[in-house]
Amino acid sequence: MIETIRSIVGVLSAFVLPALLVGFPLYGLIKGVRVYEVFVEGAKEGFDVAVTIIPYLIAILFAIGMFRASGAMDFLVNALDPVLGLIGVPAEVLPMGLVRPLTGSGSAGLVADMINQYGEDSLVVKMVATMFGSTETTFYVIAVYFGAVNIRDTRHAVPAGLFADFVGFLASVYVVQLLFG
Amino acid sequence: MWGVVPAKPPLPVMLNYIWSGLIIGSLLFALTVDTQELVENRFRNDTALPATLAFPDGYAPEGRRQPVQIRIDSATYAQMYGVDEAPDASYAGVLVQTQEGRQVEFPTDAELPEPLATIQEYHATDDNPALRGTLTAAPPTPANTARLQAALEFEPVRFRKLRNIAQAALNFAETAASLALSLIGILGLMLGLVKIGEEAGLIEALTGVVQPLLSPLFPNVPQDHPALANISLNLLANVFGLGNAATPLGIKAMEDLQELNPSDNTATDDMVMLLALNTSSVQLVPPSLLVAIMGLQINQLFFSIMLATLFSTIAGIVGTLVLHRLPYFRASAPHRTSAPEADDAEPPPT
Repeated sequence: MIETIRSIVGVLSAFVLPALLVGFPLYGLIKGVRVYEVFVEGAKEGFDVAVTIIPYLIAILFAIGMFRASGAMDFLVNALDPVLGLIGVPAEVLPMGLVRPLTGSGSAGLVADMINQYGEDSLVVKMVATMFGSTETTFYVIAVYFGAVNIRDTRHAVPAGLFADFVGFLASVYVVQLLFG
Repeated sequence: MWGVVPAKPPLPVMLNYIWSGLIIGSLLFALTVDTQELVENRFRNDTALPATLAFPDGYAPEGRRQPVQIRIDSATYAQMYGVDEAPDASYAGVLVQTQEGRQVEFPTDAELPEPLATIQEYHATDDNPALRGTLTAAPPTPANTARLQAALEFEPVRFRKLRNIAQAALNFAETAASLALSLIGILGLMLGLVKIGEEAGLIEALTGVVQPLLSPLFPNVPQDHPALANISLNLLANVFGLGNAATPLGIKAMEDLQELNPSDNTATDDMVMLLALNTSSVQLVPPSLLVAIMGLQINQLFFSIMLATLFSTIAGIVGTLVLHRLPYFRASAPHRTSAPEADDAEPPPT
């Protein structure tokens, strides 16, 4: 069963990026969009986004880098591994779980840092990348959405959002283990 | 949201603590390790390691650099440093003679045992990454000597971790900027693609399908109210990775919900549901930033992300519905506490 799913995923995954690369322009063409001009207009933002995230990346990467270099990260991972191991979660992914709901660009930096540490192909990197892709920056969404309409008492918005994040966190670990483990 | 960060996102307070915790934590941890190493004198600073030097070509007193075989007795080594690791039988090094004295250079690629490996790492420079020991306790050596009993003294190692964290901070700050700039290309590609989807009305085309599915989750929104359409657009924008479009649509949906809200500043159940769906929404197009970082790997991750978001969406919906019903949150729900005023805005549920 799992073997079948894995092989199906293996075959289908070859089509993901090509489908995106061709799908959007094709759909645009059918809908009569001036695809080339619109693409260029959108692509312009690539530079802005990259530049905008630099301060966030610096902030999170240097702090994480220091934490790693001091040996505190290894210490923490070794200490937490037996506990988290009980539920099948490698301790290496914990920083992502803590940082993801707080900062989007920062957690992107964390993914990049872990690629450096563990290699692009490693399971923990796949797990954190899945976490990054599968949840939003909950506190940011709360701040922006509720701030826009002046809601001060957010009631159960934070627990609801964090619960969804938590399940997404666990699901990322288990799904990656199932698909690629 | 995920990829496009506005100029000044309101950062949650907790992040301040996590961030400062990382920095202060690294300093404290580094200091602890350094102090411990100093107290133990782990690197035996200022103590020389006995070694035998063998000169395959015979010793040349005038030679600035000559080959030398460095032999360290493993029992002496283990005793001196108090470790189990043992050095190789011999290392093919170089004897460097200058006016300042005689130094032995270990081969750069040598597999050194601890703590020698750490000493090497600490003193390595870009120009000279080799481990160097100064020759002490060596008798005056006549030319063509084949064998020499001596001792090697290594430069002391102090506050190693403190230096490491400072170095790491500088390195990572540099990495951060070059990483961000290296992402420009793929980010542009992805943002260009989704812009086409946005212009082509991809999300509008699907609202008709999604709206009826969402309606039961927002019981206080009347069937014909525009709020539901904006909620669908917002969620679909998330599904297709249109982060630029998602935030304004979400704010619009929030404003619609606020119109239906009898309270000025208290969130309704519907608002909380919108939020939970937003943070957990199913992703069919991975975030541009992730594509840029992961490159081709995204092909596989597409499936794990889709599955993980499926679970988190279900959990988000179920969890929110359960939280709705908790007496604590029930008591503060604007739609119940002020039901009379809400009547004209909200027809009885059907």
